[in-house]
Amino acid sequence: MSHHSSPAMKLLAAPFLLMLAGLVVWPLATVLIDSFSKSGAWSLGNYAEILMSAYYGQSFVNSLLISVLTTAIGMTFGFLIAVGLRYRKGGTRRIAMALANIGANLAGVPLAMALVFLLGLNGTLTLLLKASGLIDTFNVYSLTGLIIAYCYFQIALAVLLIIPVLDAIEAELEEAASLIGVGTTRFWLRVGLPVVGRQMIAITTLLFANAMGTYATTLALTSTSVNVVTIRISELVSGDVFSDPNLANAIAMALLLVLVVPIVISQLLLKGDKR
Amino acid sequence: MTSSRHPALTATLWLAAILMLLPVLATFLNSIATGWTGGILPNGLSLGAYQTILTDGRFQSALLCSIVIAGLALSLACLLIVPAVIAAHLYWPSLDTWMARLVILPYAVPTIILMVGYLRVFSAPPLQLSGQPIVLVLTYVPLCFPMFYINVKNSLQALDTTELLEAGRLLGISDTRLLRRVILPSIFPGIALAVVLNFAGLMSEFVYARMLVGGQFETLQMYMFAQRDLSGRLSSVIVIVYFVITLLITFAAFRLVWRKETKS
Repeated sequence: MSHHSSPAMKLLAAPFLLMLAGLVVWPLATVLIDSFSKSGAWSLGNYAEILMSAYYGQSFVNSLLISVLTTAIGMTFGFLIAVGLRYRKGGTRRIAMALANIGANLAGVPLAMALVFLLGLNGTLTLLLKASGLIDTFNVYSLTGLIIAYCYFQIALAVLLIIPVLDAIEAELEEAASLIGVGTTRFWLRVGLPVVGRQMIAITTLLFANAMGTYATTLALTSTSVNVVTIRISELVSGDVFSDPNLANAIAMALLLVLVVPIVISQLLLKGDKR
Repeated sequence: MTSSRHPALTATLWLAAILMLLPVLATFLNSIATGWTGGILPNGLSLGAYQTILTDGRFQSALLCSIVIAGLALSLACLLIVPAVIAAHLYWPSLDTWMARLVILPYAVPTIILMVGYLRVFSAPPLQLSGQPIVLVLTYVPLCFPMFYINVKNSLQALDTTELLEAGRLLGISDTRLLRRVILPSIFPGIALAVVLNFAGLMSEFVYARMLVGGQFETLQMYMFAQRDLSGRLSSVIVIVYFVITLLITFAAFRLVWRKETKS
């Protein structure tokens, strides 16, 4: 009976598949195809230009630097916070989850604006630290400022993603370890982390990709002054002096490659885990 | 009673909470201060700037634009995604496996990459729509997919649908009827949660709003971007108002989760 009904029921997925084809596959295909087009002819010229150009090379180096650093910070604090929240009362957990959710959604223009009020030239914290003599000056419109901004949403995202993963480690396991005298730090290093290791790798790749693709926060905080990949792409398509859409396509493909390789590797690791 | 009571972890939690709220507190302080003459503390306090922003026509229309676009995109996403997730779960396991992989799509393919492709797709027939707000409605649909998949899938798994369908067949009830009368109402809380969480995400979308549509159709994010260099007080008010909106949406989402938890 189910054999009769299933082909018709599969049709329910048809509009979705059509949407996927039109709004994901098609645009990605145009990016790929156009990336091989230079001055109206097929060529690898755009890719050669990226590889030769110190300017575009630097944008990748900067993006990688910010992303690797803020991913490491995000994972470390996200993990510590998630461990701290285990077995806490529902209320504390909910408040923490709500804060993390808001933190993740504040990313972008509002986060950049809020950080200027905190750390800008006349920011509350800047004035406070200046008055106490701890700093002379602080420039939030800089690479350092960007790293602080990225950390904000990277930690929030890490908390949201790590909490459910740690729920898989049973409380009994931790209690048993504590009964035989294994300390907290040793338990997490020897037992806890290895158990959830592969999921943690998957979350790390997501955080990394999240940072590499960040645009709104960067633009709102440092405009185009810090040379990162997303800013370069937007400049190349926005139709002014720097306009070169096909070069933008090639940079977008290069960015995609940087993101997809670690994700595919981590997915393969996860698959190996199940077998 | 084990690791969570470790004093260093408790300290980390407090520190994280304070750091998380610090930018918001600084912004709030700015928004109610009437002026600063050098020191750390303001001269006086007033809520006047809030009135200025909340009654500003440009702010109101930006907020309305964002809500309408998000609402339309979410309606379209519901119609396209929910039936597909149900069909995949019940009748098409291989599609389901693919959907599970697609959940990471918005991370693997950031909006800045898709944006470059959309510029091309929407600049020529059959979808020659470039610059029109409808572009946002369409491009927001794929962004909604992960939340819909995760939440609808969770609800379906909690139901034991295979047994339901088999029982229905024994009683001579068609799959379609069972889907409409039993399964769809049971997964409704999951759909509602996905809608609320996606709504918050769509309200914060910036790349498409700026690059595909631009200034003529001003969403809340574009409004904030345009006003970011305004007088400190007015732009801080905008951030706080946005923060409160996010807070309300998050609270709504949590209400839905609690209701689900208390039921089960």
